[in-house]
Amino acid sequence: MTLSLQRTVSEAVRPPRTLFVRWPFGHPFGEAGARAQQLHVLLALLDLARDATEPGLIVDAPWRWRRETYDDPLREGDAS
Amino acid sequence: MSPARRPVRRLARRLATALFKRFPSLTERWLARNPIDREDDVPWTPLARPVASCRVALVTTAGVHTAEQRPFDMEDSDGDPGWRPLPGDTPDDAWRITHESYDTGPARRDLDVVFPLRRLRELAAAGRIGGLVEVHAGLMGHVDGRHVAVLRDETAPEVARHLADQRADLVLLAPA
Repeated sequence: MTLSLQRTVSEAVRPPRTLFVRWPFGHPFGEAGARAQQLHVLLALLDLARDATEPGLIVDAPWRWRRETYDDPLREGDAS
Repeated sequence: MSPARRPVRRLARRLATALFKRFPSLTERWLARNPIDREDDVPWTPLARPVASCRVALVTTAGVHTAEQRPFDMEDSDGDPGWRPLPGDTPDDAWRITHESYDTGPARRDLDVVFPLRRLRELAAAGRIGGLVEVHAGLMGHVDGRHVAVLRDETAPEVARHLADQRADLVLLAPA
């Protein structure tokens, strides 16, 4: 899977599976110290690996930079 | 390019980087003027097993390397097309970042911003992935000019062979 910060580049290079985040350079997995945010990005990439059936698929992540609240995706009892 | 012009081009790159940091929308304008070769074929390998049993490898272009390794070449205006093997058992204080084309401050405070080894270990402990390979791969994202062919024709196949040797089921490639 490829994480992308530049959709235009991914559209040209065409990796097999891409998750695009509209975030500034230097923060592909989120902000420093933002464990839950970083986990959400990784889990979205793993979901993409599981679900993608179309070569060259680019999924646009829904998260806005510094305007989201991230729950802990690994908290006990959360099976999502 | 003559060696005499390299400092000028390096200065220009630093200036461009500063502008891109301040005005991210300039990146799209730059790409419009410097189109990237479009690939016709998309490589595709179906996932061979459930994600929860996959060995995951990280490939970062954020300029990450260990303190013992040679830093990426920042003097060459065309960048450094090489790669560094990144052992997963490297102590937290032995990681280094050499890259001048993005603000490395957040990544120096928290390496998981660009190279989320600790987060992946959490996912392995939670049973979301099967585990991690022993040795990941690090590159430096600024590669241009004469080094592009080296990256494509020499480094990339070498990294791919390394990941196969590491028995990676899933490879996660991340920029910075």
